[in-house]
Amino acid sequence: MNFLAASIESIGAKIVRGLAVGYGLLAFLTEALLALLDRNTWNRATFDVVVKQIYFTAVQILPVFLTYVLVISWLIITIILTTARDFGLSAFASEMTIRVLVLELLPFLTALYIALRSGSAINTEIALMRVNNELDALAHCKVPPMPFEFLPRLISGVISVVALASLACLLAVLLGYLAIYGLNASGFEYYTRTISKILDFKIVAGLFFKCALFGLAVTAIPITAGLETPKKLFMVPVSVLRGMMKVFFAIMVIEVVSLALKYI
Amino acid sequence: MAAVAELGDDVARVGFDLPLRANLSALDNIALIPLYQRHYGAAEASQQAQALLTLLGHADIASLRDPDMTPSQRFVTQLARALILKRPRLVIDRPGATLYDVPYPRFIRQLADQANTIGTWEIFDFSWNQALYSE
Repeated sequence: MNFLAASIESIGAKIVRGLAVGYGLLAFLTEALLALLDRNTWNRATFDVVVKQIYFTAVQILPVFLTYVLVISWLIITIILTTARDFGLSAFASEMTIRVLVLELLPFLTALYIALRSGSAINTEIALMRVNNELDALAHCKVPPMPFEFLPRLISGVISVVALASLACLLAVLLGYLAIYGLNASGFEYYTRTISKILDFKIVAGLFFKCALFGLAVTAIPITAGLETPKKLFMVPVSVLRGMMKVFFAIMVIEVVSLALKYI
Repeated sequence: MAAVAELGDDVARVGFDLPLRANLSALDNIALIPLYQRHYGAAEASQQAQALLTLLGHADIASLRDPDMTPSQRFVTQLARALILKRPRLVIDRPGATLYDVPYPRFIRQLADQANTIGTWEIFDFSWNQALYSE
């Protein structure tokens, strides 16, 4: 009986904690949206921080990211082509490449890449700001951290994931053509027709929306996780661990929901 | 000492528990206040911050970040940040905790003379440090 009561209590506590985290995230996003719409937020300094954050998140990693995309895309395309040839389904290879790589795998891997690189850094920085009382110092000075600390990171996260995923998708489309037709231009018409058939307005809009949600997840969740850190230095790694688990969970949920909406 | 942290909104406080933003320069830490509290332009805010550092005799520390500063440079930046708030009372909380590289009563007196501000400066310190202030 005691075991049953303890189990129910534990499940209840987990649900309440989950709801509290969800509410905290929602409240933070609402505050960010209000700051985004506030005219006073948009001065030269905020714009400069946004540009700097985009540089750190997207531009600085370009060479490594593009190499990673090239290798992954080339491998997946080769697997798809070989399998399609083995089953006599070569005609569907280009469609398969676009559906697997461009619509699903590359945006997902881009979000994971940004989450591991920038999300963890954001989580650590905000947790340290909280533990070191830097946020209290800003509060004492009546300077809200939203316009120059949090909002630029959110905006840069969304822009970076959308831009890097778009770049990765373009590269995969190009690689797909080269792998199927080589440098021969004869397949260009068929290939572009296949692309336009798959990528209609609804699918492209959905892809952009999914990437934007990925961008929000990899920045908003680490920020809120950092803000929830207890004021003890040894809790910073725990905060990053919890934050990154939440990011991973959110990315999975977005991907699964997007797949379900598309194919079920 | 806990009471110091609960002083009202008319008090600008300098203390070890109100650190600088670690990844911003001294100038940016001070310029944040005119920029985001009073909505000045970036150039004007930086100009005000630089003028204040110059007034305190530390114009050269503008580009330094917190980890690269000496304790006295860090204190001057915190003081400039408190002064730019333009609150009627300035409270320096346990200066010995921040200023461990200079004889601090004399250093603070010197800064107060240079700053030439309107309003009162108050120092909250441990009673056993009282003798330092009579030197």
